[in-house]
Amino acid sequence: MSSNCTPASLRAQKAKRIVKEIYVYIILLAVVTVLSLLKGDLFQRGNFLFPPNIANLLRMSAPILMISSAFTLIFITGNIDLSVGSTLSLTTVVHAILVLNGFPFALSLVIVVALGVLLGSVNGFLVMKLRITPVIATLITMNAYQGLARYLVPPGISSITTTDTLKMPEWMGHFSKDQVFMGLSWAFIVAIVLLIALVILQKRTLFGKYLVAVGGNRTAAELSGINVVKVVWGVYILLGAISALAGVARASYLLIGEPYTGVGAETEAIIACLLGGTVFTGGEGSVVKSFVGAIIIVCLTFGLKSVIPEYWQLLAKGAVLVFAVVLNHLLSKEAIAA
Amino acid sequence: MNKPIKALNARSATGKISNEAFLNRVMFLVLIVLFALASIFIDKYFSTATALNLIANNWYIVILGIGVTFLLVSGHLDMSVGGIVGMAGVLSAYFTQPANEGFSELGQGLGLPYGVAILLTLLVCLFIGMLNALFIAKMRVASIIVTLGTMSIARGIGQVAALGAQRSAGLPDLFGVIGNVPLFGPIKIAAAIAAILVVIALFIEKKTSFGRRTYLIGANREAARLSGVKVELHIGLLYMLSALLAGITGILLASEMKAGISTRGAGFEFNALVVTLLGGASIDGGVGSVLGMVIGALILGVVSSAAYGLLLRPEWQFILKAVVTFLAIIAQRYLLDRRNK
Repeated sequence: MSSNCTPASLRAQKAKRIVKEIYVYIILLAVVTVLSLLKGDLFQRGNFLFPPNIANLLRMSAPILMISSAFTLIFITGNIDLSVGSTLSLTTVVHAILVLNGFPFALSLVIVVALGVLLGSVNGFLVMKLRITPVIATLITMNAYQGLARYLVPPGISSITTTDTLKMPEWMGHFSKDQVFMGLSWAFIVAIVLLIALVILQKRTLFGKYLVAVGGNRTAAELSGINVVKVVWGVYILLGAISALAGVARASYLLIGEPYTGVGAETEAIIACLLGGTVFTGGEGSVVKSFVGAIIIVCLTFGLKSVIPEYWQLLAKGAVLVFAVVLNHLLSKEAIAA
Repeated sequence: MNKPIKALNARSATGKISNEAFLNRVMFLVLIVLFALASIFIDKYFSTATALNLIANNWYIVILGIGVTFLLVSGHLDMSVGGIVGMAGVLSAYFTQPANEGFSELGQGLGLPYGVAILLTLLVCLFIGMLNALFIAKMRVASIIVTLGTMSIARGIGQVAALGAQRSAGLPDLFGVIGNVPLFGPIKIAAAIAAILVVIALFIEKKTSFGRRTYLIGANREAARLSGVKVELHIGLLYMLSALLAGITGILLASEMKAGISTRGAGFEFNALVVTLLGGASIDGGVGSVLGMVIGALILGVVSSAAYGLLLRPEWQFILKAVVTFLAIIAQRYLLDRRNK
């Protein structure tokens, strides 16, 4: 409030702002510290912080890192896309089918990303042109894309993989498994490049300013001449394309086209964005912090998997989401009060 | 924000029937047409057995749909119902299983009488509903985000209680009664319970101030608050009601299978939403009805069974559901726009 202008309250406000800036890093530090004190079965040499272990973790996490960074943008515009997980599933399957049928990597990549653009623009069309509420529209496409992913896997088998007549080429795993730099994979490097590109897009371009304007006050944005339909539609397309890229990375990591691989990815992306302090009603968010939020989730998922039975995963995930909601709520409330 | 409140009475001053009654009639017509089409194209589809099976196979979605309809009318989503169905099934089994004569960890339960087990299970479900209520009504977090979280929590509790598998060993015979006693043909007691719940819901919707307030909140939350409706409490109660209904569904389904299966109810949240939307409800709030939802459930049932009859692969169910929902939303909006011009 404007009445709070005493030096003490100003100092308190400044402290709160600093907390808001750095808390996601503190959580990451805390999670890593706790995990490094545990002795897990899956950790190489029984130590979480063993470098090859971390490198493996990051290689594995490229898809969710890509999706979470891009998801921030849709949150900033005040919309949501629940279909990212299904897009991931569908593009994983399509990439595997193409590669299995002899398509070279580059061609398959182009086709799959084009598919992602198409899937994203369908979302954008439903939300912006037909004006179906984002949650409902993307729930519909979530089911449609997931259904397609399953449909593309022939009956009787559970995933796209080497058959009697067709063999998955050896280079399938190169994108996500090859250790090109300090144990990291191409897919992870692409995720980093993408992160940098998205940060530039958000901070240094007019498009980034438009996103915030649309999310902050849509009517005001429209009145000041921003083409809201185009902006939000563009973000849906971008998110679709990046989810498709994530699908390529996931297929390359799994070496098969698994139609269920994206189930729950939207929840993970939402958790990552909330942990990163993105305001879900729009107008505020940081791509970098969502990226860090995604790393937290990956650490937790992988770390917990090696210390407690698999069936605890879902409960843990839900608890983390609720924790993120509470944290997000408390910090944004402080921002309003300050 | 200030959208006009649609006429709540069956007939407005101009003598036209309300939008709600209009949509219900249209969707009922769609149901008849779809059933007729299925009867023409599928051999032996037109029979009493098909009609009875429609009821026997869809009662659970109707129970879930009641809670989801009320919430949607008030402008909120509940994605946690599917998770609660799974959790309630496992917990009701766990509470009932014998305490110390199990062969394995999965056979070990608490050995409580079935009635007590049901009450305890419903209490846990209410707790999940309270979580929803706290975050959505009190803290005003977007309902989709919160209920995605509580969905994971509920199903997660189910998975932990079932150790990632299912609980079926050593359950007493009583456990399988409410889900299996036949009334006539394929229709069992569970379907009758669903019917009773629908009648109660219709009464609440049409005849009580609680029901009418739900519409007011959905149409204009601020106006509702200013006219003295305790909006937060009301929405909280709706979430607890929805969780309770999902708990009842889970217990009935577990009884039907005589097993608590933690993956039971996966995707039910979407089905419940679909039937509600088919019935003419809108997420923008203030519109929708339990009767429409029941018609919507029957439409979805006809579409699903027709797809099965046409020997489509089960994967088609997902795509069909998505397409049907999309068409319903677009068609209903088109009809209402034309009508209210």
